[in-house]
Amino acid sequence: MPRVRILPAGAEFEVGEGEAVAEAAWRHGHVWPTQCWGQADCMTCFTRIVDGELCALPAEREELDAVRAKMSPRFRSDPLVRLACRLRCQGDGLVLEKQGFRAAEPAESGGAD
Amino acid sequence: MTVTDPRRTGDIEAALAHGPNGPEVNAKVPHHMDGWLRVPAERYHSREFFELEKEKLWPHVWQMAAREEEIPNPGDFVEYEIVGQSLLIVRQHDGSVKALHNACRHRATELGSGCGRFPGGQIVCPFHGWRWKIDGSISHVFGREGFAEETVRPEDIALREAKCDTWGGHVWVNLDLDAPPLLEALFPAANILQRNGVQRMRAKWWKETILNCNWKLAQEAFFEGWHVKQTHPQLYTYKDGPDNETNLQNTVYTPFVNGHGRFQSGDAKEGYGGKPDFLQAARLNWAGQDAMTLERDITVFESVAGDMDTSDPAYVAKAFDALYKFWEGAGIPAPDRTPEVLKMWGGDIHMFPNYLMLPMYANALCYRVRPYNDDPDWCRFEVWSLTTYPEKEERGRLELSGRFDKDDADHWGLIPRQDFANLERMQRGIKNRSLTEIRLSEKWEVTIANMHQELDRRLAARS
Repeated sequence: MPRVRILPAGAEFEVGEGEAVAEAAWRHGHVWPTQCWGQADCMTCFTRIVDGELCALPAEREELDAVRAKMSPRFRSDPLVRLACRLRCQGDGLVLEKQGFRAAEPAESGGAD
Repeated sequence: MTVTDPRRTGDIEAALAHGPNGPEVNAKVPHHMDGWLRVPAERYHSREFFELEKEKLWPHVWQMAAREEEIPNPGDFVEYEIVGQSLLIVRQHDGSVKALHNACRHRATELGSGCGRFPGGQIVCPFHGWRWKIDGSISHVFGREGFAEETVRPEDIALREAKCDTWGGHVWVNLDLDAPPLLEALFPAANILQRNGVQRMRAKWWKETILNCNWKLAQEAFFEGWHVKQTHPQLYTYKDGPDNETNLQNTVYTPFVNGHGRFQSGDAKEGYGGKPDFLQAARLNWAGQDAMTLERDITVFESVAGDMDTSDPAYVAKAFDALYKFWEGAGIPAPDRTPEVLKMWGGDIHMFPNYLMLPMYANALCYRVRPYNDDPDWCRFEVWSLTTYPEKEERGRLELSGRFDKDDADHWGLIPRQDFANLERMQRGIKNRSLTEIRLSEKWEVTIANMHQELDRRLAARS
């Protein structure tokens, strides 16, 4: 399974096949900021690709439409800014920056609920 | 639960509908049925009757809400709407399915729309951000400190559930928490279909159209095969010529308890074997609707045709041999080769109130018809083509291909376009002042009357 690395926290975790990065983070019990919990609506989960761009699968229509309609103008046209609730990846090279990301305490790694 | 109680399979043919309703039912229902031979026209267009259905039928009846493959993974959801009531059908972490009323317990905003996922296992209100787990229990009240304790008790603000169960690859719901068990309500229709293996089928495609036709009038066009000769003349491959009115399919119509109905071939001959040209009929069926008979079946049938006369019953037997051999070789689980199963091929099951399945070979054609836009004159008409895939084949998540105009020839085959064309003419005709009722054949259309008799019993019920 692909792995991603998150800065500045420095944490790494596995992302399942077909799973989005934010969804994987929640599954591991990490805190990945969101308000809509994966509906491509609130834009809170946005993240910047800092390395391994080729490991990120291209954005699909739903993500492109949501970013165009709802993302802050400052990030709207930056191709390295992606929605983590729609960002899928391959291989182990993807490095993302996400302020507010917090790795799970070992005891709470059972999942978001 | 996905297995029909096997003890009841032997009871199928005895589960015949009771006679017409008596005054205890009829006195409570406007425009009620009177016997089996006529249906009052108002039942198809009156606002009063439609409102009674909204009050007494839909909130209390088991109905097909989704195909299971629409929600394969935990957190997947699909919305089901019936007469203005919306439910979220959600796959749970343990593989079961729940139906949650789709309204925020705070200020009633609908929480989900269409289909999608709740990743992270959270259902979030887009208005103020209240949040639930996918089992409907509350997980976060945004701004809780601003609420009086009594208004945000967890048991009060959990999402309300409807009854929800699975059978035959479908998710079924009933808004009435006191409803009888699903399989009791579906008896004996589910038992018959189970024998034909519908529980092993998956959707090949799913489409819908919006029709200017009452939901009952629309579905009743599919309660009999008797209309085929006039509505679908291209399918009529008998050699006896167009003048013969005898129905050579020897079709038998059976009204069952619970308002269900069936038609099927009337003897133990092998399905459509009575057609003079079996192969031609199969090709027309495939080309005309891409359901019931699929390209895969045609290839198998052609593979043994050679120089044979394809109207010879010996050819039909050979074609079925080849089909069973193909299924075995491909790893496709086959239905039993019994007279009961084969008689159903080319037949039709109506499951009260609004779902039909037409099993054939390892395939089925399905229809669901719902009222549309709170209007007795309109319906939302959905069509599925199901088939049985090799056991290990992964098919991914099912989504609606789209909503297509009723005469869109790029998306509907000739057969459904011919049926749809009749439906809107029927809805205009049913309001014609020259008639107060429609008349039914006691031989070919008895399951239509049976559906209406069951409907009257529902409308007369107290709750």
